[in-house]
Amino acid sequence: MILLRRLWQKLFEFLFPPATDTWLAIFRVGMGLQVLVYALFLRSDWHFMFSTTGKGLVSRKLGEALTSFDSPLIPKLGWLVTFGQHVGLGEEAVLSIAWACLLCMGSCLLLGLFCRPAAIIAWFLHLCAAESGGLLAYGADNFMTMGLFYLMLAPLPDQYSVDRRLMKTQVGNPRLLGFWRRVLQVHLCFVYFFGGLAKLLGSGWWNGSNLWRSLIRPPLNLLSPDILIRFKYALPILGISICLIELSYPVFIWVKKTQFLWLACILAMHVAIGLMMGMYLFALVMIVLNLAAFGVGIRIPFITLSAAGTRRPRSFPEAATPP
Amino acid sequence: MISKRVCVAWFGIHFLFITAVCLAGLLWLVAEGATILPPALDTCARKTELVAAWLLGKQAGAASPVRQAIATYLHAAGIQSGYTFFAPNIPGYHKLIFELNYQDGHVEYESPHFSGKAAALRLDSLLARLADNRYEPLREVVVKMFALSIWRQQPDVKKIRATFGLVTPPSINDFEQHKGESFQPIFSYDFSLRDEQNH
Repeated sequence: MILLRRLWQKLFEFLFPPATDTWLAIFRVGMGLQVLVYALFLRSDWHFMFSTTGKGLVSRKLGEALTSFDSPLIPKLGWLVTFGQHVGLGEEAVLSIAWACLLCMGSCLLLGLFCRPAAIIAWFLHLCAAESGGLLAYGADNFMTMGLFYLMLAPLPDQYSVDRRLMKTQVGNPRLLGFWRRVLQVHLCFVYFFGGLAKLLGSGWWNGSNLWRSLIRPPLNLLSPDILIRFKYALPILGISICLIELSYPVFIWVKKTQFLWLACILAMHVAIGLMMGMYLFALVMIVLNLAAFGVGIRIPFITLSAAGTRRPRSFPEAATPP
Repeated sequence: MISKRVCVAWFGIHFLFITAVCLAGLLWLVAEGATILPPALDTCARKTELVAAWLLGKQAGAASPVRQAIATYLHAAGIQSGYTFFAPNIPGYHKLIFELNYQDGHVEYESPHFSGKAAALRLDSLLARLADNRYEPLREVVVKMFALSIWRQQPDVKKIRATFGLVTPPSINDFEQHKGESFQPIFSYDFSLRDEQNH
């Protein structure tokens, strides 16, 4: 009984470490930037992707039918279009308004204005677009939905937001702030562990051929194969390193001595994915999630100053500290 | 204290779902024989995958409220699919080529495209899904939509032949020997767009 109680206590301590809201500010600004970039990148193709009447490439209705097969309760752009028809707005107008709202919510999140409503609306609109896109959705959409989902549940606003300055609200509960940071941290551990494990099970990651193929296939082929071939002996080492860094992320990201190295490696990997493969949205969202989860309060080797420019309260340690 | 217990309960359920989704994705790869694991494990992986699918309510009927509630939550939280990106192997990429036969007899070739780079990645994702056998019932519908999109832009096209195939890029050694990529057709459709009939 005592053992159970002790375990329960340990679990509570792990899940509710006191934390400042600096990580939340990074998370909010990062996700705001992500929503902005998402909307701007899809500006020219928005109607082409989601229209059903004439302009669309693949009808939105197909994606929505596929989503409805999973559950009719999943939000879709079709709901907004139907609502628009009730108030006399056509499909094109509703799609344009949805895009403009997404852009606006991204800006609000970036500034910290109306944080909670902005996070909820951004999550809802992005979810509608991702689900209506159906077959056109890819990994970055899942991570964006995940990030916005956590952001709207987290104790907003943070101390750096315009909301806090205007309304003079109280600082969020440090334990609750720590809990939501922990959720993000544990989730990232799942992401990299399963990602690394799945890669290790493929022969192509051991001999470098997967790395070669991923870098020369359109539309990811930003680098010329002639340049890549010069580094052909490094490809197997890089491939295995990526697998091992991802697989061991759930261990070494918690260890004080290796935390900075692992975070730096993972960030470098995502920067490389963004620059060398053109997957800017995917790279940005992963960098934001990693920085928010583990970037604050991290110990930088050879630098004894506290927490890389973050405000560390004297009364409690940051949530990134291992339990 | 109560709110903390609610948070802990939510945390447990949330990560149980994530574990089930990730395991289901990984076990599916093993069951399909796509990994370096011995084939003897395929059956075992298939059975374990069913357990994960059961946990996600996928064994229940499509109209089951439990299944729908779980699916809605998974999609809302962005955790409906696992994290097996670029894994276990990268087979190549897929191409959809349209042979446009005009009324005056000349022929042109075209591929579906978006104007932005971000949307081009999405198209790549769609083409990869079309190659997946699980999406086989959708192939014709999607290709037909692509064809209609081309027809809207070029109404004087009489007939369209859509060919979908796998492009295998050269390996490092092949590239050094100046060998190019190879195209292997997987399926093709003929569309007569004037009367919008599929032959």
